[in-house]
Amino acid sequence: MTPRQRRWIFLVAGGGFLAFYLWGLIGLPGFGNYPGPYGDIINAIAVPQTHATGVVSAVNFEYRAFDTLGEEFILFIAATGVATVLRHLREERDTSAVDEAKNRDVPATSDAIAMVTLAFIGPTIVVGWYLASHAQTSPSGGFQGGIVLATAFVLVYLAGQFIVFKRLSPIALTDAIEAIGAGSFAAVGIAALALGAAYLTNILPLGSTPGAVNSAGTIALISFFVGVEVAAAFILIIGELLEQTLIVREGDR
Amino acid sequence: MDSLLPLAVAVPLVAAAGISALNPLFGHRRRVLDAVAILTAAAVTGLLVVIMLSTADGQRVYWFAGFTPSHGVALGIDFAVDQLNSGLATLTATLVTAALVFSWRYFERVSTYYHALMLVFLAGMVGFCLTGDIFNLFVFFELMGVAAYALTAYRPEERGPLQGALNFAITNSVGAYLSLSGIGLIYGRTGALNMAQIGQAITGHRPDGLVVVAFVLILMGLLTKASIVPFHFWLADAHAVAPTPVCVLFSGVMVELGLYGIARVYWSMFGAGLGHRDAITAVLLALGIATAVVGALFCFRQRHLKRLLAFSTINHAGLFLIGIALLTPLGLTGAAVYVIGHGLIKAALFLSVGIVLHRLGSVNETFLHGRGRGLPVTGVVFVLAALALADLPPFALYLGAGWIGQSGDARELHWITAVIMTTSVLVGAAVLRVAGGVFYGLGDPPSEDPQMAEEASEETSETDEAKSRTPLSMIVPPAVLVAAALAVGLLPQLGDLVQDGAVRFQDQAAYNATVLVGAHIAHPTALLGPEDTSVTTTDVVTGVGTAVASLVLALMALYWRRLPVLRRGFEPGAGLVRPIRRFQSGVVNDYVTWMVVGLACIGGALAFAIR
Repeated sequence: MTPRQRRWIFLVAGGGFLAFYLWGLIGLPGFGNYPGPYGDIINAIAVPQTHATGVVSAVNFEYRAFDTLGEEFILFIAATGVATVLRHLREERDTSAVDEAKNRDVPATSDAIAMVTLAFIGPTIVVGWYLASHAQTSPSGGFQGGIVLATAFVLVYLAGQFIVFKRLSPIALTDAIEAIGAGSFAAVGIAALALGAAYLTNILPLGSTPGAVNSAGTIALISFFVGVEVAAAFILIIGELLEQTLIVREGDR
Repeated sequence: MDSLLPLAVAVPLVAAAGISALNPLFGHRRRVLDAVAILTAAAVTGLLVVIMLSTADGQRVYWFAGFTPSHGVALGIDFAVDQLNSGLATLTATLVTAALVFSWRYFERVSTYYHALMLVFLAGMVGFCLTGDIFNLFVFFELMGVAAYALTAYRPEERGPLQGALNFAITNSVGAYLSLSGIGLIYGRTGALNMAQIGQAITGHRPDGLVVVAFVLILMGLLTKASIVPFHFWLADAHAVAPTPVCVLFSGVMVELGLYGIARVYWSMFGAGLGHRDAITAVLLALGIATAVVGALFCFRQRHLKRLLAFSTINHAGLFLIGIALLTPLGLTGAAVYVIGHGLIKAALFLSVGIVLHRLGSVNETFLHGRGRGLPVTGVVFVLAALALADLPPFALYLGAGWIGQSGDARELHWITAVIMTTSVLVGAAVLRVAGGVFYGLGDPPSEDPQMAEEASEETSETDEAKSRTPLSMIVPPAVLVAAALAVGLLPQLGDLVQDGAVRFQDQAAYNATVLVGAHIAHPTALLGPEDTSVTTTDVVTGVGTAVASLVLALMALYWRRLPVLRRGFEPGAGLVRPIRRFQSGVVNDYVTWMVVGLACIGGALAFAIR
């Protein structure tokens, strides 16, 4: 098929699809008319039942925690997949990728960038940690917190410290931490089974005050494990991809 | 007892995470990894057998985190387990175990990643089978998908695997996004994600645009996974490059899971609400026939053994869809038995090709001609599996084909038997031609086709260098799988047992009551009643006839140059080469374009029928 033929076939078929899709969209309820019982019921029962004031987290980490477990393992296996695809290329790089112009000047990271990024690393870690550990109280959680934590490591790289970035996050260790985060989530579920409850039942004490940091039982725990897994997975993926493109020279820091 | 249900998914996930976490300690001790992976898969198989046996007296429903529905509203996620989906999950775990045992000596070097990917793939497929929640189904669809993409690209030092994996990932992701938008639409209407609750909510209303569009969109991802024409292009590309033990799972169960998903979504959610059964039968039948014919023709013309088997899988996916499309208990029974038999036999065929690749370093039929004489045991296994694939009784496949045909006859669709027979003859002949040529050196070597030879030669051995003997761990799994297909075919009362499951599967009201209210339905009833499943002489004669015709056609293909009637220079199926190259272009842009064409056609047909 030539690109021209393909474009025409796609346009005609896509037009048909669009008309069909619009036919379906017409049937949606009007803006602001929420028809389903689910949201109303969850809003009414989630806080008393789970002691989590972050109701989205209550859905993610308790009512539909099993979905979240699957999603977390999607990320885990995606990071493993990236490592799988790049593993041979890494061996290859050690022999083939060399800087052709050995004596050219390498532009140094500007002091302004280095200073600003280094200044941001501390606050970023605090915010990431806060998000990952406060799913039960406010709209946040392990996925968001994990990404922010991973960003702190990327800031180290941005400050021109790739070697430090690699030293802080060696692939084998990051891989292991990622697996521990993912496996712990699945194991929390099995712990409930061991106590005779259903898989992923909230088995920890809920605390007396909804909205307190030490409330909501396993919601906080699972969110924390997700944070560990997400942070490690993204550091792993970013590290693997950077290694593909960067040429590390002698004398670089 | 019920706590076994979540373990079937949780155990492989924990094992995968465990071996990744302990990689620094055990990563270099390959046998530890192999043993953990095999034991985990075998344990999951055992769990699923127990679960399957426990479903004989009714469906089992398991609510995660203990949130049982209140007043018909599901708050959490459920596993709804019946005979058919637990049986499919058992087949999945069995094949994963066989593939892992085969891998014991197959890969020269293998890393932790392989074992983690295989175990997560297993967990994803089992979860996909057992879940009763449409969003959870999507999550497991993605989980098994991501693991499968990475497994396809397991040998990324070559260009082929990366491209095959990319085509696979892009087409299946496009299908998944379409499915997700369909889930969004139906959630917008019903406010529910539980399949039973959605079914309850849309039953009794006239189906409008939203319901039809949501149904068609949800089907998209499943049709892509099931490699139904015109959503099938990724399959041959992915099979050609994936490691052989992985191909076993792609062909043996993953494609079939897509078809299971179609059946599940139809009978648990949309069936009662949509109505218009004739229109749905017509659309699905058209897709099934196109798939069966395209798969059979492309299969016959292939010289690359993995691609040949991949197109045979496409042919069978079409036949399974025909069985589902009839919307009868017997049609579904036939499809289910066909899936079991095909899964076992196709796995045995791929493992045999793996042995050929291990020993002879090639998957090119032309090159291999007569070179397999030193593999007598593999040859026997391959020939038996090829005959079984051609519906030879008493291997289980002829029963499936026979029941689908019978159910078609009962609906006055007599040509269905003809479609099954002719396409099975083509596929059986192609595989028997390989068997005769490669293992016994029969006939003349096929003429060298430069491009196909090039494709096949890209397939370097996955095991570094050709080996002088076949390890026991490689020949036992395919032999056991062939024997299992034989045993399933000889099971007394197989038809009645499976049809009981099919009737329960199709009783949407009973499904709703069991899931949402916890009712125990002892005697489910389908819209169309069960039919006679006794094995008739016609079934046996049809099966034997198909196998004999395949054998004759295979011999003709091997000896065509010496046949007096055919003039020299004519090559059977030569006219197919151009269309194959033209459509199976390897360009993912083309594939996605055909998917949109398919979507527009299916949507248009159902829109005109149901509006």
